[in-house]
Amino acid sequence: MCFKVTPDFEALREADWIAGAAHGVETRYVRRILNCFDESALEMALRLSDTLAGRGVTMGLDALSVGGGEAEPYLKTLYALGYERAARVRSEASLDFAPAVTASIIASYVRQVDHSDLVVLGCRSGPGDSGTVPFLVAEKLGWPCLTQVIEVEPLTDDRVRVACMVDDGLLRVTLRLPCVLAVGNAVVSRLRVPTLTDRLARRHKRIDVFSGADLGVDIARELRREPCVLAGLEAIHRARQGVIIGGETPREKARVLFDSHLKSILEKL
Amino acid sequence: MRSAAILDGTIGAATQQAQALGGFLREGLVGDLVGETLVFYHDECDKKRLVELAPTRAVRLIKTTARRPERMVEILTAVARSEGISLFLFAGGPAGTELATRLAYRTSGAVLTDALSIEVGPERLLCRKNVYSNHMVGRFELSARPWCVSIDACWKDGGSPTSLAHHILSGTDETGRIGTTPFEDLELVDPPSTGDLAESRFLVVAGYGAGNREGVERIAEAARRMGAAFGVSRPVAMNAWALMDRLIGVSGTRAAPALCIVVGASGAPALYWGIEKAAFIVAVDPDEQAPIVRNADAALLDDGVAIVEELAEIIAAEVLR
Repeated sequence: MCFKVTPDFEALREADWIAGAAHGVETRYVRRILNCFDESALEMALRLSDTLAGRGVTMGLDALSVGGGEAEPYLKTLYALGYERAARVRSEASLDFAPAVTASIIASYVRQVDHSDLVVLGCRSGPGDSGTVPFLVAEKLGWPCLTQVIEVEPLTDDRVRVACMVDDGLLRVTLRLPCVLAVGNAVVSRLRVPTLTDRLARRHKRIDVFSGADLGVDIARELRREPCVLAGLEAIHRARQGVIIGGETPREKARVLFDSHLKSILEKL
Repeated sequence: MRSAAILDGTIGAATQQAQALGGFLREGLVGDLVGETLVFYHDECDKKRLVELAPTRAVRLIKTTARRPERMVEILTAVARSEGISLFLFAGGPAGTELATRLAYRTSGAVLTDALSIEVGPERLLCRKNVYSNHMVGRFELSARPWCVSIDACWKDGGSPTSLAHHILSGTDETGRIGTTPFEDLELVDPPSTGDLAESRFLVVAGYGAGNREGVERIAEAARRMGAAFGVSRPVAMNAWALMDRLIGVSGTRAAPALCIVVGASGAPALYWGIEKAAFIVAVDPDEQAPIVRNADAALLDDGVAIVEELAEIIAAEVLR
């Protein structure tokens, strides 16, 4: 299971979004959060494991994050929740706009360390929001991939039944493993909270830290070969009039809004 | 330099794809390109209709099997290698993202998803797309060809397909070389209903400021009484205060109502993307510094639930009576 810890972009002030920066916006001081789709993916994997455990089948769960040390608190949480291995791959260089490099690292980890036959991750993450990483991982591994997954249930040892949103509706499909599943707007959207007992019991479990070289990935070289590079940033101007409607009470304000603006709009609908 | 727009008739939503591709080719693309459309279809498709929808005059027809993206990628890879096409253009959405990414990988090209616009240079493709959860627009340079680009979902508003005098360049049948598939027992079921959001003329959106499930339900009930469609922000859906199919924004529905009332949402760009086409936006939020206040046409600084319930009473009595 792969996840990314990202800055909470909503915590930045408007003045912090500086256009013209070629290599991204300064976000080091902003609090970190789990990418929402990855959070769904991590919980979905736990539920898959729970379901299999009920059938007497053990499903080993590995968690991997690519990036800096900000992932470590989450990796410890995942240990407490029952993940068997928690690892991260460090990179000196920012991989924010380098989906191909990220995918190389994940695919190498799966091939060389994890040896799993199911990769579950979020369908996209910021700041690049490319949505390409799951498909690139699948291509590198030679596996099929489904994106916008909202439900997974195990059928047999090597088959899962998946529900995913496609362009024209909801598709249910049975998929042979190995495969890559990219989680979208799943109902399962929050990662469960471990008990204090579980946290204490597993607090000494070691987080494995790899470099790109450990996995046979020359990150610097792959970054230079990235065929799509960020060249600059532009601000987005969204401001409208923002007329503040006056009044003393909610009833009074609602009346002013209706009379001054809404009545004429609604009468034309 | 040649380009190819991909119209995937093997999935539904061909009209929306054509609208998006056509709008993008007219207004989103700058450059001197000779364009054609690769139309994928299968036995049950209305082939004539698909040709009519093609956003370029020149059309190639490729017969394949429904819902076999891995086979489509193989076909497109062969086309890229034999035809010398520099730019492949895909409609937005999961299928476009998959095809663009896989094609770029297999041809050692470059991929960019959700493009807002592109400019074709002699050596590079310059693309703009939303980044940082829609807080900013990034300018990207694509070097290696073919350039495989899927376009932003905002181009679904691209207008009706233009009527063109099409001519068929070629027609091939690829159904004989399908091979095996890892997918079994495919079943397309009705999606959760989001049509009321996308088509709504009057929309109420509840945000995390509603406070709890009860607050969201009260806003939903007020919306119903006003005759408005009801949507929510991502934090509301993630807290299970409303169903995911009510989600408005980048990962949900993009609406273009005449009137949109946003209640208790800060107006994060990912949400705002879903309502920015609204003709008139009302923000109801106690925080004057919330972005939604600046980005609305009118704002009420107050408790959202109380305001929207008062509005429902007035509208029910004076408009819907």
